[in-house]
Amino acid sequence: MSKLSFKGGVHPLKEIHEGKEATKSKPIRSYVPEEVCIPVDMHLGAPSIPCVKKGDLVKLGQVVAEAAGPRGIPVHASVSGEVLSVGPKQELFGKPSVCICIRNDKQDNWVELKKLGDVETAPADQIINAVRDAGICGMGGACFPTHAKMMLPEGKSVDTIILNGSECETFITADHRLMLEQPQRVVDGLRAAMRAMKVTKGIIAIEANKMDAYEAVSKAAQGREGVSMALLKTKYPQGGEKQLIQAVTGREVPSGGLPMDANVVVLNVATAAAIADAVTEGKPLIERVSTVTGCVNEPANLLLRVGTVVSEVIAACGGTSEEPGKIFVGGSMTGLALPNDSVSMTKANNCLVVVNQKDAAPKEVSPCIRCARCIEVCPIKLNPQRLNVLCEAGDLAQAKKENMLDCILCHSCHYICPARIQFPFKEAKEKIVARRI
Amino acid sequence: MNLRMSAGPHFVARESTQTLMLDVIIALIPTAAAGVYLFGIRAAWVLAVAVISAVLAEFIWQKLAKKPVRVGDLSAVVTGLILGLNMPSEVPLWLPAIGSFIAIILVKQLFGGIGHNFMNPAMLARGIMLVSWPAQMTIYTLPVRVLGTTSVVPSPDAVSAATALIRPSAYSNYDLLIGNIPGTIGEVCKLAIIIGFLYMLFVGTISWQIPVTFVGSVALLSWLLGSDPLVAVLSGGVLFGAVFMATDYVTNPMLKVGHLIFGIGCGVIVVVIRKFGSYPEGVTFAILIMNTVTPLIDRWTSRRVYGTVKKHA
Repeated sequence: MSKLSFKGGVHPLKEIHEGKEATKSKPIRSYVPEEVCIPVDMHLGAPSIPCVKKGDLVKLGQVVAEAAGPRGIPVHASVSGEVLSVGPKQELFGKPSVCICIRNDKQDNWVELKKLGDVETAPADQIINAVRDAGICGMGGACFPTHAKMMLPEGKSVDTIILNGSECETFITADHRLMLEQPQRVVDGLRAAMRAMKVTKGIIAIEANKMDAYEAVSKAAQGREGVSMALLKTKYPQGGEKQLIQAVTGREVPSGGLPMDANVVVLNVATAAAIADAVTEGKPLIERVSTVTGCVNEPANLLLRVGTVVSEVIAACGGTSEEPGKIFVGGSMTGLALPNDSVSMTKANNCLVVVNQKDAAPKEVSPCIRCARCIEVCPIKLNPQRLNVLCEAGDLAQAKKENMLDCILCHSCHYICPARIQFPFKEAKEKIVARRI
Repeated sequence: MNLRMSAGPHFVARESTQTLMLDVIIALIPTAAAGVYLFGIRAAWVLAVAVISAVLAEFIWQKLAKKPVRVGDLSAVVTGLILGLNMPSEVPLWLPAIGSFIAIILVKQLFGGIGHNFMNPAMLARGIMLVSWPAQMTIYTLPVRVLGTTSVVPSPDAVSAATALIRPSAYSNYDLLIGNIPGTIGEVCKLAIIIGFLYMLFVGTISWQIPVTFVGSVALLSWLLGSDPLVAVLSGGVLFGAVFMATDYVTNPMLKVGHLIFGIGCGVIVVVIRKFGSYPEGVTFAILIMNTVTPLIDRWTSRRVYGTVKKHA
């Protein structure tokens, strides 16, 4: 079978099978927390507005924070029980997030759910609303509100939906296990999205290091209208929207544009499964599969309630096996380092990795030797070496001319650099946008 | 719990500047070993003096200039080794020492240290020495030992002989390939150079573009001008230069298409110097000239960025 791909990229942690060995054959295990602290700003965009107060008794799936504006999404109680507090609590990016903390009464008393019915027969015009009401956002890591992605602005059209099952980031096996164990939900979600957006072509794309998942999903997709499969080469950032679209359709997203400008919408496979739940059961997004790995005693793929606190997640995996030096959520290429273990797992967090002190130690940076490896791996075909020089010199205007804003921040250049240069592209992009350079 | 906060990537590739330099050193071992076998212990002394002087020069400079000492990156070892391999075995031992100081201090450190020199340090140092000490730098001798069956008579007493470039007909193609010829320590055994080339290709230190286009254009152009292309490639320093010196990251272009231009440029200049210049060999000057053209090549070549229409820089 031929494998689709893009030019450039890296194969991170190839020598340890992308760090996925420890969890790739561990079945999804459900974990019920004692308490959850649900941030209202998990998704991209305006934070949701809390609508419960301390002391309230809430049911499982009840809306506890309402959507702010048409692009916002509501937040639901992920356990039933008593609201312990509502207010600023956890700090991730320097300023505290408002969190709704609920003590779990372990009753799992569900709120009454309104289902639309089977994905093939449910009224298509109500699906997008159901997706919004279920509080669904991109579960591959970005957490962009999914209904907003599905509502196309005037004049735009989409002919293909690609389900992203590439899971090219290191360590993560959550999507792998989901596709392997519950392929039907994934395919159902795709069909619901296709019907809602009136798209006739759906492609489920999976990397070749998950052949078992590829086969399971292929089987589930058999006979489903308009659904086909794509096998991808194991390479990073294969799951980046631009690279995925290029590999699967041969199209390029125009510079500065969105996938819909290439007539494509990309959804993560876990997001698709959540869409299926929202349509067939009316179930809001209150739990997700997250891989917990690294220096923990029992690495696992946990079905976690949204808002479960990191320390409790680690304890659920037998505690840490070594003194942690760093904890990050997501994969090792783009994952976010956490300030402490009292922050919550969100709808976006597909993985939690505990790193020991040795591996967390900073690497010494040395001068660039112009080896051009960064240029070879850049999936956007930028010249990271030159852009780095321009950024260091403060010439952001020239950096912008040389396509700085097209950088997708995949960190392949940083990963491959033998001089360990920390390409400052995130800051550069932010400055260019903020200062309107 | 004291957690380190930093942006991704949280793990990086194993390859570092040091491991890349180590791979070049490993690739040079067959060449150095062949040189020492063919030219005797004297060759080992030349290499040792060159390497030790290079490392010492770098260390002293970085200490005096109060810069971080980076001799651990092994780049000075590579420079010293390549410089030593570019000398005949009978040079007076003060020459490799002076050469290494020129390479490290004049060419590399004065321009800002590793990554900032615009010419290959070993190459420019050799160029300067060729001009300053032409007699000492060209005391070529017959090998003291030979490899395999050959008509070449080894001479333990260091009998001077012209470089094989001048009288290639005296040697069989086998001798040219295996190194039973007069020449610098590193350039004679082509087989060892090819082994080093294959090693570097295999572990990904270098790519094929520069060596292949360099050697290929020398062969093609020599043939067009009526010389035996095999002799043109095997008799002088083309192979050693193409594999170990033209591939220096710092002084060659960034893009693969630039590598093609660079390699062809080197090949053309070598043949022009050999045919029309007063030097029998032109590899050193060819690479130096192309080093200076590198910024221009980088400026001329560009790639189309994803999602954009190609624009010219």
